[in-house]
Amino acid sequence: MEAASARMAARDPYSGFGQAPTSQLQRFILNACDPQNFEPNLALNLEISDLINAKKGSAPREAAVSIVHFVNHRNPNVSLLALNLLDICVKNCGYPFHLQISTKEFLNELVRRFPERPPVHPTRVQNKILELIEEWRQTICMTSRHKEDLGFVRDMHRLLSYKGYMFPEVRQEDAAVLNPSDNLRSAEEMEEEEKEAQSAKLQELIRRGGPQDLQEANKLMKVMAGYDTRNKTDWRAKAAEEVSKIQQKARILEEMLQGYKQGDKITEGDVFEELANALQSAHPKIQKMCEEESEDHEAVAKLFEINDSINRTVERYKLIKKGDIEAANRIPRGTLGTSGAGVTKGADNTLNLIDFGDETTGESNAPSSSEVSAQSASKGNSLEEDLLGLSLGGSSYGQTGGISLGGSNGSVLGLSGISLPQTQPQQPAAPSSSFDLLGGFSSPKPTSQITSPAPSQTSFAQAPIGQAARSTPDPFAALTSPAPRQASPFQFQQSTKPQAPGTADLLGGTVAPRPSSRLAQNATAAPHDDDDEWTFASSVPDTSKDITVNNTGIKVDFNVSRESDSVLLIKSRISNNTPAPISQLTLQLAVSRAYQLKLEPQSSMSLSPNQQNGITQMIRLNGVQRGQGGNVKMRWKAAYTLGGARKDEMGEIQSLGVP
Amino acid sequence: MGASISKMMNKIFGSKEMRLLMLGLDAAGKTTILYKLKLDQDVTTIPTVGFNVETVTYKNTKFNVWDVGGQDKIRPLWRHYFSGMLGVHDSVLSTGRQASARTQGLIFVIDSNDRDRIDEARTELARIIQDREMKDALLLVFANKQDLQGAMRPKEVSDRLQLEKIAKDHVWKVEPSCATTGEGIFEGLAWLSNNVKIPNAK
Repeated sequence: MEAASARMAARDPYSGFGQAPTSQLQRFILNACDPQNFEPNLALNLEISDLINAKKGSAPREAAVSIVHFVNHRNPNVSLLALNLLDICVKNCGYPFHLQISTKEFLNELVRRFPERPPVHPTRVQNKILELIEEWRQTICMTSRHKEDLGFVRDMHRLLSYKGYMFPEVRQEDAAVLNPSDNLRSAEEMEEEEKEAQSAKLQELIRRGGPQDLQEANKLMKVMAGYDTRNKTDWRAKAAEEVSKIQQKARILEEMLQGYKQGDKITEGDVFEELANALQSAHPKIQKMCEEESEDHEAVAKLFEINDSINRTVERYKLIKKGDIEAANRIPRGTLGTSGAGVTKGADNTLNLIDFGDETTGESNAPSSSEVSAQSASKGNSLEEDLLGLSLGGSSYGQTGGISLGGSNGSVLGLSGISLPQTQPQQPAAPSSSFDLLGGFSSPKPTSQITSPAPSQTSFAQAPIGQAARSTPDPFAALTSPAPRQASPFQFQQSTKPQAPGTADLLGGTVAPRPSSRLAQNATAAPHDDDDEWTFASSVPDTSKDITVNNTGIKVDFNVSRESDSVLLIKSRISNNTPAPISQLTLQLAVSRAYQLKLEPQSSMSLSPNQQNGITQMIRLNGVQRGQGGNVKMRWKAAYTLGGARKDEMGEIQSLGVP
Repeated sequence: MGASISKMMNKIFGSKEMRLLMLGLDAAGKTTILYKLKLDQDVTTIPTVGFNVETVTYKNTKFNVWDVGGQDKIRPLWRHYFSGMLGVHDSVLSTGRQASARTQGLIFVIDSNDRDRIDEARTELARIIQDREMKDALLLVFANKQDLQGAMRPKEVSDRLQLEKIAKDHVWKVEPSCATTGEGIFEGLAWLSNNVKIPNAK
């Protein structure tokens, strides 16, 4: 009956208030659009959007259809009330409603009363409709996570522009609410949101019922039921990523505050305040995450520490804002990842969210030993190779690889965005430079995931020892991401701030019983690198070799020589090929997992015009046995500022050229 | 436009259209029933991950039968099928006038030989028919696999499902069936066709 009356109602758009609406939702909408309202009833409109959110299912569609019916009412006041309600629903009901307003039927109904040619003086109703479409196009069609589902809004916009309709200006502030918020969200919240979106989409696909829709619905069902895990998102990893963003903000604020001088003004609405607000709003979320993660003590501990450091930073901000610099300075300086007292964790002065120590080695073996066994059988590798393989080979999902940024500015960064390239860890010096380096290493194709089991393959394994074996399948424990695009299994070391204390061998300092030995090549079981049992070493004379890694704006030369039986020494020299000065130059390297990279600080971060070998750096590569030098593959990335523009260059080193 | 003309024709010549949702525990025989209806063949099926939909015309009634997988992982997704358009492709994009069309009939398939899981089936069935979207739906229970020795008879099935209680607001019937031979299946459809409320604003 309900359907029947809706259909009857729709058949005659000029009828209207004669018939009884059947559902509560329709009754509310009818009341909201009643011309007796002199102005939009905001309370009722919000109640309607709440009702839609609560009922879900077909409610968004029911509402959209009813509302657009009133938009086409002959009384312009009713139309305007309906458009106001529509605006409220779009802004408050999220993706399920967006999906409805982006259907062809809805959009066609919305502009049904538009004349073929734009009138000289568009009516208020037409103006409002144009404004809404423009607003949607600028916001949800660009920024929504599901923007590919909203294509018809763009099409309608294009069609109207083509016909000569002019769209009014949209106030960005009003529209900004439609953009996804960057508030911190926990794993559960994100998963919930995604489920709701999938649910709405499935409902819509079934309703449309076209052959393609049904096909897609079938696929979506497989995903929702958990049969198709190929594109499954790891929400914990995502949450870790979110935390890292907050961390980043905290660090920026901390840095800004440390650079704050007496007399500087903190004005309303400036960057300071924005950052501080973001941090404060993150606070309850982090506590919630602590509860969710309560089984994982490591993660909770890390979260608490992050929380503390954020609190400190916020506190300092408040004091400085009040003008009480004295008191602000009494708060221990430093947040995670910036140098300073207060938060120092261990020798490396950073809270490495990833490094959970070596004790997980044993556990991590267990869960995936089955998937590794196949590989090890075929390759005849040792158990230890299995351990390496465990995080890389085998299944398409569920591996982790540690990422860790060495150097003073923060291993904490390492936890960020491994699954998504755009949220790769960023450095403070160059907030725009993202580590595509890592992205490049981690191939999204499942085929190339079988990387590490045999060192002779492109075995991109871990660098610092402590972490080599620490590849737990639990993303939060490691706060890394076993995302489908294959978490990048690299240690990443950088030394962006050479002046900072104790940069280079921070990570290397953790000498752990690294279970890494190349039994495949060497029949003797040698659990330690340090006393390697390769006995033919002396037969190979030590030589050094020069490689030119890059020769564009900057020239990067490596002089590679063997320092000992297991260590390669690389002397990097960077020259400026341009007649302009280069500043903020950072060179980053990644190496396959089997090896361990130690970078000493760069001698400088800037080069004067055409300066030759102006920056030098010592790089040690541990764990490279004699004879294996040719197998070492490295990736590098250089970021620098030239003539005011930030440049990124990257590439791969196929072989180091020494045995 | 075309859709409304054909609807008018249907009205004149008395043919109607029904949206049927076929649910039940896994391995009850839903997909086998669907393809028996559609192809009149005994097909070998694999567990349905997702759904199948077919249109079957029988005695002037066009049935859109949706067969959704019954594995426990998929069951939470059943509710998405409770409402929706009639499943007629052409009329969907052009009109956009219906707020929603409910499923007019629910076919619930029982493995009559699976006494262990009949309680599970009852729980699922109760959950479905007590949903708001399903309040007007006819309920047809196929007591399937009647060819097996020791299968529960329709009376036992309706008792064990407590249909008197859980389906008291619905028009329901238990039909003994055997999907592989086709026995009982068309009888069930005929019952649905005869009992569907005709003034459903065609």
